[in-house]
Amino acid sequence: MKVEELLSQSGEWLKGTGPESDVVISSRVRLARNLHRFPFLTVATPQVRSEVERFVRPRLEEGKLPRKLVYWSLGELTSVERTLLVERHLISREHEKAEGERGVAVGADEAISIMVNEEDHLRLQVIRSGLQLDEAYDEIDRMDTALEGSLNFAFSPQFGYLTACPTNVGTGLRISVMMHLPAAVLSKQMDKVLQSLQRLNYTVRGFYGEGTQPLGDFYQVSNQITLGKSERDIIAELKRVIPEILKFERQWRHKLLEDEPRRLEDRVWRAYGILKHARRITSEEATDLLSALRLGATLNVITGIPHKVLNELFIFTQPAHLQKIERKILDPDERDSVRAEFIRRRLEGL
Amino acid sequence: MNCEKCHKNHATIHITAAEGGVKRELHLCEECARQTGALSNFNFSIGNLLGNLMEPVKSPKVSQVRCPECGITYSEFKTKARLGCANDYEVFRSELLRLLEKVHGSIQHAGKTPHTVDAQIRKENELIRLKRDLDSVVKSEDFEKAAEIRDRIKSLELELNR
Repeated sequence: MKVEELLSQSGEWLKGTGPESDVVISSRVRLARNLHRFPFLTVATPQVRSEVERFVRPRLEEGKLPRKLVYWSLGELTSVERTLLVERHLISREHEKAEGERGVAVGADEAISIMVNEEDHLRLQVIRSGLQLDEAYDEIDRMDTALEGSLNFAFSPQFGYLTACPTNVGTGLRISVMMHLPAAVLSKQMDKVLQSLQRLNYTVRGFYGEGTQPLGDFYQVSNQITLGKSERDIIAELKRVIPEILKFERQWRHKLLEDEPRRLEDRVWRAYGILKHARRITSEEATDLLSALRLGATLNVITGIPHKVLNELFIFTQPAHLQKIERKILDPDERDSVRAEFIRRRLEGL
Repeated sequence: MNCEKCHKNHATIHITAAEGGVKRELHLCEECARQTGALSNFNFSIGNLLGNLMEPVKSPKVSQVRCPECGITYSEFKTKARLGCANDYEVFRSELLRLLEKVHGSIQHAGKTPHTVDAQIRKENELIRLKRDLDSVVKSEDFEKAAEIRDRIKSLELELNR
């Protein structure tokens, strides 16, 4: 499979059908693993990096794993293709920018991906649509156990799975729930949410993970603690916290609908109008308007726009996607025109 | 006076900097001073200076112990926030225990254990610890103890190579 072929499909997690999908976009779990006897990437020489890749790659491509994976060596991809993988949430920004031998193995439905030579030798991730923490963990656990058959992971009985950064040590498990919280943002309640989550040792990040700004009212909530709790405990705690946020967001959505229906309707339909007719649109404006449209669609202020279409528009209107669709390098100005046209067509087709 | 940056530790480093003709005073704790690079212009740290004055025959400071496998020191870890290899967890054990307690509120793994090679890893962890002990025992000239440790290392290495 080639990277371009991703354009003819969209990830399973974007289909917008999972539980609680009015608020929860996706559930992501990741495991950090390092190979026994190999130095961490912090000090790894180029030789060690390629040794790790040479050692791991055939084992990821092997047929015996629970999922068939396709491996891309990032050095062999163009920068647009690598960015496309970032936009798809298959690799991190750091992995895209890094140098040296590194890669990613991806499952056909994009639900699973394994980065090689990122901060740790292996970073496994599974993304599912909506709130599906147990399902996502079960899948990653199966893959991890299968890989243990052929790879020896650095592990200590006291510290668990050993990671380059001690903030990941133990389970190596980070769970991130991506949520759309437009009503909390619109009603200026986000600070409250953020503060209470931080008190409970959860971090909140933007759409593309670490160090990114919240975009289009999307927030990723993840656990900070990885040591001293079992994987199931970490999941169970998140399963108590997330519903509280869902309840909060839904309350504010209904409050908006009851107290200021005109303001809400105007915002939603204005967004629709611009998206459907604009001839040029920046990524920021598109994300902002799509967010408003998504809110309108969940509250039936506007009908006939499936979540899947909206979720896909967020991803397909990102710079690398547009350039791959057009098959050429576009400057930001050209992208704005292409983006507007792409959105127009997609909305007209409904 | 508390550190201006972390507002937690006591400020022990007082720096007067002149920027664009404006004099500014900075009051930092040693850790923050090191992190901001305020200390990097000096060839010594206050800690080392005091250590040298008070304990002339002190063993090398923890922050200067190098991991025999990957070669990093604990202070290098503190600047990069990334460890160099799995052995660092044994080499910098006591420092990391304090850090892990702070970050995770725990120092004991309670999750999944790989079904393979559990016994072997335990042995290897012990080997790392013994090699580290050997160094300090040799330095303190306790040769009887050193011979004992050396024997244990030999037999472990044999077991692991088999």
